[in-house]
Amino acid sequence: MPSPDRPGRRPDARVKLIAAVGFVVAVVVAPPGSWRYLGALGLGLGGVVVASGVSIPRLFARWLGFLLLVGFLAALAAGRVAATSGLSWRMAALDLVARNGLALLAMMTLAQVTPWTEMLRAMRRLGMPPALASTLAFMHRYGFVLRDELARMATARRARSFGRRGPGFAALASLIGVLLGRALDREERVFAAMTARGWDGTLRTLDD
Amino acid sequence: MHIPDVLLGGGAAIATGAIAAAGLGYALRRVDERHGARTTSLMGMTAAFVFAAQMVNFPVGPGVTGHLMGGLLSAVLLGPWAGAVVIAAVLIVQCFLFQDGGVTALGANFVNMGLIGAVGGYAIYDPIRRALGGRRGILIGAMVAAWFSVLLAAGAFAIELAAGGRREDFFRILTWMALVHAAIGVGEALITGLVVRLVLLTRPELIEAPSELEIEGDPRPAPGWAPTVAAGMGIALAVAVFVSPFAAPDPDGLEYVGEKFAFLPSEETPPVLAAPMPDYEAPVPSALRGLDEAKAATAAAGLIGTLVVFGFAWGMARVFTASDARPEASADAVA
Repeated sequence: MPSPDRPGRRPDARVKLIAAVGFVVAVVVAPPGSWRYLGALGLGLGGVVVASGVSIPRLFARWLGFLLLVGFLAALAAGRVAATSGLSWRMAALDLVARNGLALLAMMTLAQVTPWTEMLRAMRRLGMPPALASTLAFMHRYGFVLRDELARMATARRARSFGRRGPGFAALASLIGVLLGRALDREERVFAAMTARGWDGTLRTLDD
Repeated sequence: MHIPDVLLGGGAAIATGAIAAAGLGYALRRVDERHGARTTSLMGMTAAFVFAAQMVNFPVGPGVTGHLMGGLLSAVLLGPWAGAVVIAAVLIVQCFLFQDGGVTALGANFVNMGLIGAVGGYAIYDPIRRALGGRRGILIGAMVAAWFSVLLAAGAFAIELAAGGRREDFFRILTWMALVHAAIGVGEALITGLVVRLVLLTRPELIEAPSELEIEGDPRPAPGWAPTVAAGMGIALAVAVFVSPFAAPDPDGLEYVGEKFAFLPSEETPPVLAAPMPDYEAPVPSALRGLDEAKAATAAAGLIGTLVVFGFAWGMARVFTASDARPEASADAVA
């Protein structure tokens, strides 16, 4: 079925998704130490980022947030890469961090320019099982609702337990336990409402 | 715990991707058979719950916080395959929306946390719960299985990260992962236990249970041999997992042969635990520098963690049954 998006308005989410995942695969399959190839990919990505108008400082700030974990894992995996590629241990670790950075920036850019509903529609059209796609849509819809509910519960708890130092393990766990009960209650209500409106397990949207 | 892009070797990424696709397909079919039209809302809401619950940060140590992973908790609530589907949904959203975990490592992450964490964890939880029976069995089973699910996932992580590399690299990665996750696993077990305890006290009907299993009331008298046997089995499993590096007949034989015949470069081989940061003062006790010491540290982490978790689970179950005995009795009296 042709995309209802007017041509020229913005690229179809499928194109963006395939391009981003393809870029990541291109980075992943690059042999370790192929700096020129990575540089060329990086320049291409930079062009896309500039064209898309995503905030570049924000991208790099997020990337820095991942750097500690990636650095730790790169240090663990560098031995394997160094052994198979002939790079020194330090260059192998640097190569892993650099390539991971490119992949991360590409996926961040994709997430910045593609609303989740569009991304899901693209995934469904590219063959994701419909049950999984509708679950993901539902999860996205209520994930933030539950997050807000949790924030309200945390505020209420703080308001009632002044003077206590930090939140204890048991108090935090009971917060989660109560959230679980409320979430499953909400699921019951929502499912009843969906059934009342003819829900039969297939997600139907206006654009397909 | 989420593997980012690039760090996995190509073979490991493809193999885990294939296993993950097959496993997720099977899990989706099982869940659909059981829940039908309700699949979407039940899986979606539970995934949303796990997503929100992961934002609660628990103090683990000075300046370090951890959060619930939730694979085992979802499996305890909804059954193993539903737990795997929930984890798959959480991982996909984390990957595409928050870049937590790489696209090319999505399969490996699902194998670790969904198939091993939720389905494998349930396989440990279920026999313990049956052996002990009642609420106590659910609580102890969930805690012990939560601990193992984290440790087994960490072990799988080490295998995937080291696949295609040398043996001593694998042991180095395994040691680091075991040391870090021995602590994380205790946290996961505690949080899972506290949440399951609250659910058992307030909403026991939420916990998935085969019809033959009675949650309400405890059909068995005071714990006798069964818990001891179950605990013994659990400890034996822990020992098997963490001492297995020792179990190979003459574990250093390959290296000896390799050095003799020079197919393993002997002088270039870096000291096993001096990396991750060989050019700096390695943040590792000097006792951990040899291969044997690495294995010993792995085994010790596994054993100590197992004992700690069993201690917590036992203590919590005791407190639980003590504080619970009266309300249950009065409920019976009213009925």
